Amino acid sequence: MDGIWIFAERQEQTLELLNPGRSLADMMGVKLAAFAADGGLAPEYIAHGADEVFVLPPLLPGQPLESYVAVLADEARKRTPGVFLIGATPRGKEIAARLAARLNTGLCSGCTGLHLRDGSNVLEMERLMFGGKAVQKVLCSARPQMATVLPGTFEPAVCLPDRKGVVVEVHSASSSEVRIVSRSARHREGADVTEAKIIVCVGRGVESEEHMERVRELARVVGGEIACTRPIAEECQWLPEEVYLGISGKRVKPDLYIGLGVSGQIQHVAGIRESKVIFAVNRDENAPIFDAADYGIVGDMCRVVPLLIDELGRLLKV
Amino acid sequence: MLNIITCFKWVIDEADIKADAATRKLLFGRAGYKISAYDRHAIEEAVRFQEQHGASVAAVTVAPPSAKKCLKDALSRGPDSACFVNDPSFLDLDPSQTSSILAAAVRGRIKFDLIICGEGSDDLYAQQVGPALAERLGIPCATCVSKLTYAEDEKHIIAERRLDDGMETVLVPLPALVSVLPGINTPRIPTLKEVLGAAKKEIFNVALEELGDIPGPYLKTVEVVAAAMDRRGIRFSADEEGVRSAVNALFKEGVLSQGVL
Amino acid sequence: MANDKFTAIVVGAGPAGSTAALVLARAGHEVLLIEKGAVPGAKNMFGGRLYSHALNRIIPEFWERAPVERPVVRETLTLLHDGRSVSLNVRNLDWVSPPHHSFTLHRAEFDAWLASEAEEAGAMLACSIRVDDLLMENGRVIGIRAGEDEMFADVVIAADGVNSLLAQRAGLAGMASPRQVATGVKQIIELPSDVIRRRFQLEGNNGAAQLFVGDCTGGMQGGGFVYTNRESVSLGLVINANELRKTQRSLFELIEDFKMNPHIAPLLEGGDVGEYSAHLIPEAGLAMMPRVFGQGILVAGDAAGFALNLGYVVRGMDFAIASGEAAAKTVIQAKKHNDFSRRGLSFYQKYLRENFVLRDLAAYRRAPEFMENCRLFETYPDLITSLMAEVFTVSGSQPVHLFTKILSRVRQSRVSLAKLFIDGWRGATWL
Ligand SMILES: Cc1cc2nc3c(=O)[nH]c(=O)nc-3n(C[C@H](O)[C@H](O)[C@H](O)COP(=O)(O)OP(=O)(O)OC[C@H]3O[C@@H](n4cnc5c(N)ncnc54)[C@H](O)[C@@H]3O)c2cc1C
Ligand SMILES: Cc1cc2nc3c(=O)[nH]c(=O)nc-3n(C[C@H](O)[C@H](O)[C@H](O)COP(=O)(O)OP(=O)(O)OC[C@H]3O[C@@H](n4cnc5c(N)ncnc54)[C@H](O)[C@@H]3O)c2cc1C
Ligand SMILES: Nc1ncnc2c1ncn2[C@@H]1O[C@H](COP(=O)(O)O)[C@@H](O)[C@H]1O
Repeated sequence: MDGIWIFAERQEQTLELLNPGRSLADMMGVKLAAFAADGGLAPEYIAHGADEVFVLPPLLPGQPLESYVAVLADEARKRTPGVFLIGATPRGKEIAARLAARLNTGLCSGCTGLHLRDGSNVLEMERLMFGGKAVQKVLCSARPQMATVLPGTFEPAVCLPDRKGVVVEVHSASSSEVRIVSRSARHREGADVTEAKIIVCVGRGVESEEHMERVRELARVVGGEIACTRPIAEECQWLPEEVYLGISGKRVKPDLYIGLGVSGQIQHVAGIRESKVIFAVNRDENAPIFDAADYGIVGDMCRVVPLLIDELGRLLKV
Repeated sequence: MLNIITCFKWVIDEADIKADAATRKLLFGRAGYKISAYDRHAIEEAVRFQEQHGASVAAVTVAPPSAKKCLKDALSRGPDSACFVNDPSFLDLDPSQTSSILAAAVRGRIKFDLIICGEGSDDLYAQQVGPALAERLGIPCATCVSKLTYAEDEKHIIAERRLDDGMETVLVPLPALVSVLPGINTPRIPTLKEVLGAAKKEIFNVALEELGDIPGPYLKTVEVVAAAMDRRGIRFSADEEGVRSAVNALFKEGVLSQGVL
Repeated sequence: MANDKFTAIVVGAGPAGSTAALVLARAGHEVLLIEKGAVPGAKNMFGGRLYSHALNRIIPEFWERAPVERPVVRETLTLLHDGRSVSLNVRNLDWVSPPHHSFTLHRAEFDAWLASEAEEAGAMLACSIRVDDLLMENGRVIGIRAGEDEMFADVVIAADGVNSLLAQRAGLAGMASPRQVATGVKQIIELPSDVIRRRFQLEGNNGAAQLFVGDCTGGMQGGGFVYTNRESVSLGLVINANELRKTQRSLFELIEDFKMNPHIAPLLEGGDVGEYSAHLIPEAGLAMMPRVFGQGILVAGDAAGFALNLGYVVRGMDFAIASGEAAAKTVIQAKKHNDFSRRGLSFYQKYLRENFVLRDLAAYRRAPEFMENCRLFETYPDLITSLMAEVFTVSGSQPVHLFTKILSRVRQSRVSLAKLFIDGWRGATWL
């Protein structure tokens, strides 16, 4: 029962997971192994801290990534890892849930923090619950101790180019009854909100394209990126899915978050909680966003936003 | 005719949970309960299938007996029957137990071609019970489904999955499980007749003793505290002067000037 | 249920509606109770105290089972002005033991409980359903419409609260004018029970009620209240809606000021704000009462304007419960003769008179007029608090006798002695 394992859909997430993986492996005195679907990535994973890289067999055309569940389960039964961390992308979450069921172990989903309980090999895993209102800490009594870790939770592991490691080919066959019929990649518009220093976030209080224009102008004046609440992306489809913030959307840590017509339901607030400063405009004085905000203006955004643009424009000289 | 199961969870209304600022203890005092948000979409999708293709729909929940009220609520949303898997110990279950209990309750007891779950529950949002249940029943599954169609003659469903890198359309042979996102439909609001009709629908109770061995729990919760939220909560008026003071405050925080000036 | 027809459809699962449904169901009638909230009581609010007499008659010793918080054993009336306050404390040891005189409680729990009592007695409860209209036939109410659905009954009981939509639709009432209603705002402040016990000097699970007149409403007609619950304190303001329209201040600001008042703040210190809510109260007494029954319809509770705001007491729950009971008894009686016309339902008045609702409202019929007197909320608190403060202040200056002090204070307050006398007389006889 040892070894820390890592599986993530994409390279950058694997590099992130190698970071806590490496520390845990050192503290527990065990090996760190990462899975790669492409053998070409093995040297990079090793340089970033992996002692072993398991190279998965290629998927057949039309097979989803989830077909690896059987392979991963077989390997885990054979080699009995103590910890198994999986990148919390949609596919990763499905894989983890099914794997945990197959292996009859516990899984901490959407893990935001990992610690070793003092002096033991027991992981204390942190996650949000009640829509983000609370932090739950869990231990797993079976092995492997599994967690899916949200992208961006950890920095990528440091790279030591002359690290040594072993590459192991995994041979068991993947299988799935699910067949992919088609795929359409999402094209990115604009910059990544998770990188932005200033975010101007709109909620249902925005009622028209005209409002949006003003909001865009405000974003331009402060040099920020535009983000939104889920209904704006999902129901109104005014902004793309990847800019909605919250527990089921993106989690961000900007210096300044400006919320306009955002009610501040907990599921949204969970995604902006780590902003340095939160500023909100809402016409409802009882809107929960004010409990989450450092500064607030109770008022109609149609009136307040132009004033903000003027005042900020004047001071920032744009 | 298709047999559909939809799984729903009765959850505490998180908007009613208060927190003690000093101790970060959660106060559940007068919190209400509701059907988990995504599960209303799961039930709705099952009922739409029923309307379009002819199907029987059973709504299944695992809960302590005190949650009995949820059955009427669920049934008023359209399912033909409800299966109430209940025991006083079914409180704060971990997702592995929930999926094991569901699997044991369904297996050999309720006929199904398709199981529809929500993508995640309001309280735990573990996003596990659906796929784990599929695994325990040995059937294929598709998560994050935002559109579902039925290929009648082929005994397949076609699911559109909304993933972080784009859309993926998959073909899944029945019997299968899907977990759905809220974008999939708009749940109907039960009408008075539907609410009254719910009182006449069939409810099966399944007790712990009928389930056989349920392994787990594997997760032990050692602490639940309110997420820290220390914010200043300063308010300004909505006039020019207020806006000026607000902007000033933001400048003082040093979050505005950088890079722009 | 024959052809989907009920004996009675009760609209609104507040205390009036649930009591009506309970009494009818107990008598074996088919009754449908419809509530627009997701659960009964979810959105309902009130100050926080139920006078127990009415419910005790219907569910004897209800406090053994009902979710009540604390029996009130001490009443305090406090006048506030500037930095001064004068309080009158009233205790009665009788209030400590059953049948307790009044209880603090939370509507969310209490209303849900009372509705479930009705449900257990056999009433059908449908929540999350808003009744949109009455169904009429030849000038008679024959049922209700909710969304697309129509549902029929011998009688509809409108228990849908203040500004009743149904009473208006039946042509029994118009919209209340702002003068006739008050707006109540309330916050619940969470505090540990031992802190409450200490601060309010209570033993065990006993509770206290405190009413405030004066500064707390900024001189507007109305008052403030503080009630102790088990692990929280309910605090709020009731202000006449007409006066509120005239001021620039929002309710939120007013209640925040009230909480900061140095006479109140120490009671709340360290507490977390729980719920915040606002609601209307009918306060014009008999004057705003609609006709309370018509062809195939009875109106009960706040919908019928059965509420009383005397400044030192706010009553509505007990009227709601008693009128709900009276409505149910009326239906039971009418069913015997199968006569649901206005005539058949005219027993309602008789029951209302017998069980105190009309009697009490008639007795206090001039109270609303008295309450419109602005001196009550500004001048008198000023007068009395400054007088009392002076009485207890030792300054070393020339002594003045009590009577002279009173006279000089009265003169300063610019209320004529005649007015003072009239106000005093009216207060003593109308309240
Ligand atoms: C399991 C689960 C996960 C979820 N995940 C997320 C998530 O990740 N992200 C997310 O955002 N949501 C999420 N939600 C939904 C969330 O609960 C809220 O429904 C959503 O955040 C509300 O969005 P909103 O504030 O834009 O809209 P609303 O709640 O409709 O609020 C609109 C606000 O605008 C104000 N307003 C209206 N007009 C004006 C005006 N002219 N000027 C100023 N203010 C105005 C109103 O007062 C109101 O407060 C989730 C829900 C569930 C159940
Ligand atoms: C601030 C404040 C303090 C008060 N303090 C006290 C006090 O200390 N003691 C006291 O005895 N009284 C007090 N009252 C008065 C008391 O709250 C009311 O008199 C009492 O609630 C009336 O009961 P009801 O059943 O008639 O109406 P409500 O309690 O208002 O119930 C009406 C119900 O009908 C439902 N409804 C309305 N319209 C529809 C529709 N179209 N379809 C379906 N359902 C509908 C509502 O959701 C509600 O549940 C206070 C009131 C306020 C506002
Ligand atoms: N106690 C339960 N009873 C029935 N279904 C459940 C239960 N818990 C979770 N589910 C289903 O599993 C989905 C995902 O839940 P979770 O894994 O807790 O996020 C929910 O949307 C429900 O469809």
